[in-house]
Formats: sequence, C-alpha cells, structure tokens
Amino acid sequence: MYRTVVNRILLTKNTGGGRRCLLRFPDLRTAVSSSRFSTTTEPQTFPNRPLNPADSSTSSSSTSFQTSSAAGDIPRQERKNPRAEYQGEQARVLQASLRHVLRLGWSEEAMIAGAKEVGISPSIVGSFPRKEAALVEFFMDDCLQRLIDRIDSGEELQDLIPSQCIYKLVRFRLEMQAPYISKWPQALSIQAHPLNVSTSFKQRAMLVDEIWHAAGDEASDLDWYVKRTVLGGIYSTTEIYMLTDSSPEFRDTWLFLDNRVKDAFDLKKTIQEVFSPSIPFPLFF
Amino acid sequence: MVGKVFSNVASNYDLMNDFMSGGLHRLWKDRLVSKLSPFPGMKHLDVAGGTGDVAFRILESVNSIKRRALQDPLNDDLQEETRIYVCDINPNMLDVGKNRALEKGLGEDKSLVWVQGDAEALSFEDNSMDGYTIAFGIRNVTHIEKVLSEAYRVLKRGGRFLCLELSHVDIPVFKELYDFYSFSVIPRLGEIVAGDRESYQYLVESIRRFPPQEKFASMIADAGFQKVEYENLVGGVVAIHSGLKI
Repeated sequence: MYRTVVNRILLTKNTGGGRRCLLRFPDLRTAVSSSRFSTTTEPQTFPNRPLNPADSSTSSSSTSFQTSSAAGDIPRQERKNPRAEYQGEQARVLQASLRHVLRLGWSEEAMIAGAKEVGISPSIVGSFPRKEAALVEFFMDDCLQRLIDRIDSGEELQDLIPSQCIYKLVRFRLEMQAPYISKWPQALSIQAHPLNVSTSFKQRAMLVDEIWHAAGDEASDLDWYVKRTVLGGIYSTTEIYMLTDSSPEFRDTWLFLDNRVKDAFDLKKTIQEVFSPSIPFPLFF
Repeated sequence: MVGKVFSNVASNYDLMNDFMSGGLHRLWKDRLVSKLSPFPGMKHLDVAGGTGDVAFRILESVNSIKRRALQDPLNDDLQEETRIYVCDINPNMLDVGKNRALEKGLGEDKSLVWVQGDAEALSFEDNSMDGYTIAFGIRNVTHIEKVLSEAYRVLKRGGRFLCLELSHVDIPVFKELYDFYSFSVIPRLGEIVAGDRESYQYLVESIRRFPPQEKFASMIADAGFQKVEYENLVGGVVAIHSGLKI
C-alpha cells in the first residue's frame, strides 16, 4: 500500500529510466491550506516566492504562487526554484555529516562538522526542526533508497522463494548499518524519543512494506498487517542482536536472522494446517 | 522620535519590560536563543539589542559546560573565536548594556563587541555573520525592507535570521483583553514607573501599526530568505519569525 502511494504521489520528474526516487524530508507539517496561518506553537512553513513554478521534487506544498518580482536587486536567473534549493543544501549538509558520525555520534556536533565541510555556515543546523533526529531520518531514507535501487536492479530476487528473498533483503539492509554499528544504539534511542517516534515508525513501515512487496506479496486484507508486523518484529530483533554481535562480519547475526525467518514461515504453515479443512473438526477438542 | 523615546526609556528599559510582560520577556528571549542554536566560534549580530539581553544569553549558551563537554576535540580553540556584535542606534542603550556586562563579569570578554550603528545601513561586511537576531527592534525602524535586505547582505550562506517581535492577536476573547491591557494599563504603568506616558503610548501604537505575522513573513521572503517560518507565543502577543539564507 505504501509503495503504490509512494509511486503515485511522490514520483518526481527527475526519475529517468524508471528509477524510483524516494522523497527526502517528507515535510509532514506543511499544510497546504489557503490561509497558511499559524496559531499553534508548531511553526508553519511559509511558501517561498519562486519566480518559476516550484519543482515537483518538493511534494509538500505544490501551491507555487506567482507574484510579480518586487525585490528587484536579485536577478531572475539566480532565483530558480529557491524552495527546492534549501532542501538540497540541507541534504548536502546531512550527507557530509554522516562521515563524522563515527567520531562524534548522531549529534549536533557531527552536523556542525558536516556543515563546515560543505562550506555552509553551521547555523543551518538550527534550521532542522529536531536536529539529531533529522540526521538519523536522513540516513534511514538514504538506506531505504539504496534498498529500492537494489530491488529494482536485482533480477534474481524474483526466482527466490519468499523466505529466502526476505532473508537476503533484510541482510542487505542491515549491512548498510554495519559501518555505524558502534553508534547505532544512540540512533535507536533518538528514534525512540516521543517526538521522533511517529516519523521513525513510518520509515520502518515503509521499509517493511518494500521488502514484502519485493518478495511478491499481494495480500490486501488482514494478512497484510500480520505479515508486516511479523517482518517488523524479525527486522527489529535482528537489528538489536547485531548491536552486541562481535563475530567476524556479523556471521552470528545472519544465522539468527535465518532462524527467525524460518520460524515465521513455519508458524505460518502450522497455522494454515490447524485451520485447514483436512483435519476433522471434533479432533480439535 | 525613536531616538528620543529610547534615550528616555534606556535607564528603565529592563524594569519596564519586566512589568509589562510580567517577566515573560525572559522566556521569550530564551526561546529565541534556543531556536538560534548557537555554536562555538560563531559570528553573531544582534541588532537593536542595546541592553544586551539576547547577547548575554547567546554567550552563556556557547560557553555552557554541557556544550563544552560535547565539543569536537579537534576544534578546542574555537571558543575564543566567538564574536557577538551588539549593534544599536542609541548610545544610551549600549551604555546600559556595557554596564550590565561589567556587572556580570564579562567586561574583559572579547567575545562581546558593542557597536553603534543603524540597522538600515550596517557597517559590517557581506557574508560575514552566522546569525542575525533582532528582538523587539524591528517595530521601531522606518524602513523594514531595508533592514531585512541588510540582514540578508551580512549573513553567510546557511546563516539564519531570527526576529522576536510583538505581533497580532487573533483569538476572539483574548484579543479584547489584550487590547484593554495595552491601551489602558501600559501607558499608566509607564507613567508610574518611568514617569513617561507618551513613550509607552507610542510603544503600544507601534505594535498595532506593525504588519501582521503573514505579511511580515512575506516581506522576509521578499528579501531573499528561504524556509521562512513563524511561531506564535502567547497566542500571538509575540511571534518569532525565522529565515534561512542559502
């Protein structure tokens, strides 16, 4: 369900050759309303004044209002898509900050170092609503994008049985976290913070949805929720197991993952057998 | 007019602020500085910040123990590079600020620089500041657009503009209460505490004349800032507008 939503609404014009691009920073709080007023403590983003229509790479507010150029000093050519620009710069800063995470943790200091590296004033760090959480969320989105790319380019996934496909994809995704494993507990605690929980939950839901979709799932009823919950559980437990795993190349983690996936599929078979019509009813009791 | 008003009110400025806002102005300034998120080595400009409230808070934030504990060990000497410029058109306000700095023991601190200047024509170079704040000052300038474009000029790429200002209240019953408080209580308070009814009458009228939140936000965007947002405090009595220069 999430995947089709992503495809339909957020597909950007930039995607050439059928490569899907996940939107970074889905700005959930920017309301597309005609009044654009803020009366709460949450800041409302005021749409910038683009001289050209806003690029569809920003999904949040597509109301580009064309006002006549009153601020004469800045030439027209330099103001192309100003709304998209600051998000691009923020992404650059976050990308650079990731390189400092191992040394400084998922923190403001890493983001300040990242900003300095890119040549932008570290004040920009103050413009991220939840600072460290923005960095973690960026990383999660980035990983998800890489996973999607892998799914799209990997032909062999279709030939595998679902349990193997799931094993491969979860392993691939968790390996992306391996370089940051020493600081990953901090990232998890940031994601668990009440302010950040809703976003991190959504990101994980999308992740789980992608994996099931790649494994060839077409369920649309209660089964859909059960499958995603189970996979969510497998993913989280493996992720936590990985934190304390010191075996070379996380061998023990992959063994753990394999066992969990097998357990889940065995359980499914068991349940199906229990409720199948081949067993005579009275034998239950 | 503005010059005279602030010469009159300078000595009682802080006291009157406390009276009029019931001490809330301290919290508002705290919120402003936390939104700014200062960092060691920052070059900051506080305009119309004569008595130094915002500047002191920023300095405290940068020097705080917590901040120092988390600091990047490769950049230890950045602390000394922090510069907070306090710019004000009125020398009396600056003097009050300098005295307060002395009282706080910051007299020798070279991070604080007191500069007399006009917000509409700043003496600082282009792209030299990481942050720009103006707290309760933009209401008093003649040409808001000029101040905004000067702010845009002096900020570096990635620099932020933050403005704390008394603004418009739209909430039905609260609005009437606030109007009553503004027009009846404040000038009377000014008369009793500072002996100057006219200045405080001017103050209240200037609040009403100032553009509402949305209009002011669009003016900030016109100056070239991106990610323009505002946050209402106390239902709109005060608003913090922010913008990013990219």
